[in-house]
Amino acid sequence: MIARERRVGTETPKFVLVGASLALLFLSLPLVGLLKRVAWSGVFASVTSGPASEALRLSLITSLFATAIALLLGLPLAWVLARIDFHGRSLVRALVMLPMVLPPVVGGVALLGAYGKSHGLIGGLLYDVFGLQLTFSPLGVVIAETFVALPFLVMAVESGLRSIDPRFEESAATMGSGPSERFWKVTLRLLAPSLIAGVAVAWARALGEFGATITFAGNIEGRTQTTPLAVYLLLESDPEAAYALSFVLLAVCVAVLISMRGSWMGRRS
Amino acid sequence: MKRFGLMIVVVVTASLVPNAACATSTMESSKLGGDLTISAAASLTDAFTALTQQFRQSNKGLKIHLNFGSSATLVAQIQSGAPSDILASADLTNLERLIDSGNVTETPKVFARNTMAIAVKPGNPKSVRSVADLVSLPFVALCSKTVPCGVYASSLLTMSGVVIAESKVTRGIDAKTTLSAVANGDADAAIVYKTDVLAAKKTVFGIDIPGAQNVQAMYGISPIRGSKNLVNAKSFIDFLLSEQGWQILKSFGFQRP
Repeated sequence: MIARERRVGTETPKFVLVGASLALLFLSLPLVGLLKRVAWSGVFASVTSGPASEALRLSLITSLFATAIALLLGLPLAWVLARIDFHGRSLVRALVMLPMVLPPVVGGVALLGAYGKSHGLIGGLLYDVFGLQLTFSPLGVVIAETFVALPFLVMAVESGLRSIDPRFEESAATMGSGPSERFWKVTLRLLAPSLIAGVAVAWARALGEFGATITFAGNIEGRTQTTPLAVYLLLESDPEAAYALSFVLLAVCVAVLISMRGSWMGRRS
Repeated sequence: MKRFGLMIVVVVTASLVPNAACATSTMESSKLGGDLTISAAASLTDAFTALTQQFRQSNKGLKIHLNFGSSATLVAQIQSGAPSDILASADLTNLERLIDSGNVTETPKVFARNTMAIAVKPGNPKSVRSVADLVSLPFVALCSKTVPCGVYASSLLTMSGVVIAESKVTRGIDAKTTLSAVANGDADAAIVYKTDVLAAKKTVFGIDIPGAQNVQAMYGISPIRGSKNLVNAKSFIDFLLSEQGWQILKSFGFQRP
């Protein structure tokens, strides 16, 4: 990293540096604590055996599906929020962001209220007409993960769209390219960094989902028991496996962050 | 064998100690102040909320903090140094774990007994009558095998010779969340404590399990070693074991140990 040129009047006061160091310490200490408890010699054996490996497999599949759905639905929504000036836009944006701040368990209860077979608004209909039960199914896990991951993607892509210089698209338009050609050939290419960042954050969030999943999709071994659920339960029966799984999740998240290099929220370094 | 021995000791002390201790505690109780942190099994949520409300009446200066969770989680919290003055567990195994780790030095007192029951959707749409009927249901909610209500459910099923495929079993993290899978979710039945089924009122329909197939859940309580509020802790335990305390427990469906 190259230090930015400092301007007169913006020098950093000492107490800010102290605060920043404390914040960094606060965030890193638990990570060190986790790493210290991982039994390194047994990590591979722990995560490739029994319930742990099944949980990892299920997590991988469901989180990838959730990310794909978040992308398909989130990109159009981000576009509308970034580029169409309509009445009540800030209200819609607040609604979209709600799952980010909502306690995930409440999200799970809300999902039951919509898609639950017995009490849901349309869950009973889905079951009667299509024989589709989302609760206690891997598809339910995907729904829960998508619910919490989608806002992250929308947020990243919306701010990416806003930071695109409109002149590129304008000149493409003057050269006679239509709206959908412009979308694929110009906008999407300029948007790529934000899009990749949004996908990565959404995927990490989906992978880590706990509260909405256990509330809505349940906790069935090999069916809806994702890695975070397995970590929570293994902590009591097999702590070594729980720490090994935690390490895998941590490593994945670190990898995601490194690959993004701060490009989330439109800032590129 | 070890556990059985402990249980007998516990039952004997439980029946002897309270009366003697009670006399002193009623005299002292108006002077209690400071804090009292009680960690209690999730299945005690309603009963202990009522008990502490009553206890607070005569100890206005006392700040009571209730911490509910699965007994296994509570033990893990205490072992990692969480400041708790009392553990009320839904079994004796978890108190033994605290004795083994040195966090409890006094012999736990057994204060209540509970049994298991089946909870189904209101109106019993799948006509469940017994534990054996659970096999044919799409989804059954049981507690995690790491918490007492899950252990009880497992041994109950074994005793009845009933095997439910793990692919149909959703596991709640404690008794309350397990029951909630039936009351608010799509699970067809749950095996939880009878007191939880009673507390859930009309949101579920309860089916008793005959005594021969059922398990007896023994609830134990102990002060935690190193507690800074030991006087408060002991007074509360005395109150719990008093006749007044028993009447409250009974009103929530608990049985005499």
